[in-house]
Amino acid sequence: MRNFPALLAGELQRMVKYSIFAAGLVVALLWIGVLHFTDIEDVSGLFVLLLFVDATTMSILYAGVTVFFEKQEGSLKSLLVCPISRLEHVSSKVCGNVVVNLQTVVLLYLYAWYFKEISLSFWALAAAVALVAFFHALVGLVLTYYSETFTDLLMNMMKYAFLLMLPVLLDEIGVIQNALVQNLLYAIPTRASMTILTASGGGIDAPEVWLFAGYLIVGSAGLLWLVLKKFDKFAAKESGV
Amino acid sequence: MFEVRELAFRYPQNDENTLRGLSFSIKEGEIFGLLGPSGVGKTTTQKVMVKILTDYGGQIIYRGEDLRSYGRDFYQDVGIGFEMPVHFSKLSAEENLAFFRNLYRKTADTDELMRRLGLYQDKDKKVAEFSKGMKIRLNFVRALLNSPKVLFLDEPTMGLDPKNARIIKGMIKEFRDDGGTVLLTTHLMNDVDELCDRVAFMAEGKIAEIDTPKNLKLQHGLRRVDVEYEKNGEVKAESFDLDGLGEDEAFLDIVKNTRIITIHSKETTLDDIFIKVTGVETL
Repeated sequence: MRNFPALLAGELQRMVKYSIFAAGLVVALLWIGVLHFTDIEDVSGLFVLLLFVDATTMSILYAGVTVFFEKQEGSLKSLLVCPISRLEHVSSKVCGNVVVNLQTVVLLYLYAWYFKEISLSFWALAAAVALVAFFHALVGLVLTYYSETFTDLLMNMMKYAFLLMLPVLLDEIGVIQNALVQNLLYAIPTRASMTILTASGGGIDAPEVWLFAGYLIVGSAGLLWLVLKKFDKFAAKESGV
Repeated sequence: MFEVRELAFRYPQNDENTLRGLSFSIKEGEIFGLLGPSGVGKTTTQKVMVKILTDYGGQIIYRGEDLRSYGRDFYQDVGIGFEMPVHFSKLSAEENLAFFRNLYRKTADTDELMRRLGLYQDKDKKVAEFSKGMKIRLNFVRALLNSPKVLFLDEPTMGLDPKNARIIKGMIKEFRDDGGTVLLTTHLMNDVDELCDRVAFMAEGKIAEIDTPKNLKLQHGLRRVDVEYEKNGEVKAESFDLDGLGEDEAFLDIVKNTRIITIHSKETTLDDIFIKVTGVETL
């Protein structure tokens, strides 16, 4: 991982230049608008829901956007012939995306702390967002490898949102009451994501939090393995195969 | 430096192999030209040799070891000049080069390279604002950025004005004179003639001819001399065998007693050889 710092610095620099940080800022302002115009004084519950959407869908999107920029400009070819490992390349990209999500956490937390009430631990929240965003950035890379165009990626992301995110959101706001469905949701990574985000406010047993955190860590390792496995095929394809 | 043995490669979507038992070697310190019509497999060969394509048949020996045994450090000593722009367009030229410089153990003086290629004054400009020619020159700087020992160049002067093409050709020769090895892929026969120590013509996924440009011209040309001369106010032309020319009385008589207008040996051009060997017209 000798080249990881240089690759991460490059990734962050490009995220600034290609306005991905700016896009993250706009989304964060949008979430702040939602917090601002709600009548609730303690925004902790809503805060978790907003961060859930941000750390899942936006992570998928940011990861996809950075890869599509590299495809479009041919810079991916230049990276392919550098003395860097696939692991360095992929992990720098994923960590760069996590930084954008952390930017949102900081901005939202500052707003909520100054103007509303919030009973969530910042550090627990930041750690949870980092893990959820890391997992979903990898999901974004997998979806990108299976998407020919950016529109395909958006469609795949929407499928993921409808199948795996929406049920968890509906459960969280009390729309889903069926116990069997609720229990089934525990099998999907978005439920684990929601649980560890909610845990930053306390009220969830530590073993349960660690179980779900472990689920996402093991899931991330599995996704990382898949991304690295698919990377060569994707790279060869992008170089004209 | 490179020994390519019976190289075979098939693209997943194709029924037939693009490379069908390609064999050649590249010596250390030479400029080797790989020529052939579009789609014959030149770029594929290059991609295999730079480890972008790995699922190939046959064997490539690089510095005495199987290319497959090399890890990512292979790229520390290899520079690759792509035909198409490969830079981050929203970063400046300097930002692009700085990013890539950080990934190598040793690096060249990119300011000096940019100065020589007329890019230094635009180094802080976004690559998106560069002309096509400037992007090609920046590709060349990128290829030399890690002070490589081997350079793979794909159409390095395509789309450049004659002045900049000359500068790049000069730098390629300099690289060779300093001990570097170059694999050059191009359609421009002038570049081949000017630069290459040896050339290989590809046809149907194989090497059809391989030799020095001079030997190829001699081998494919006629061993004759055409003379156009003026005698008694009349312009005449005659053709002589190159062998035994010094004893050919008729030729010597023309040289001694007439005003010669033109005299040409009938060696052929690389363009002609390209067409003959590959069956395709050049640019």
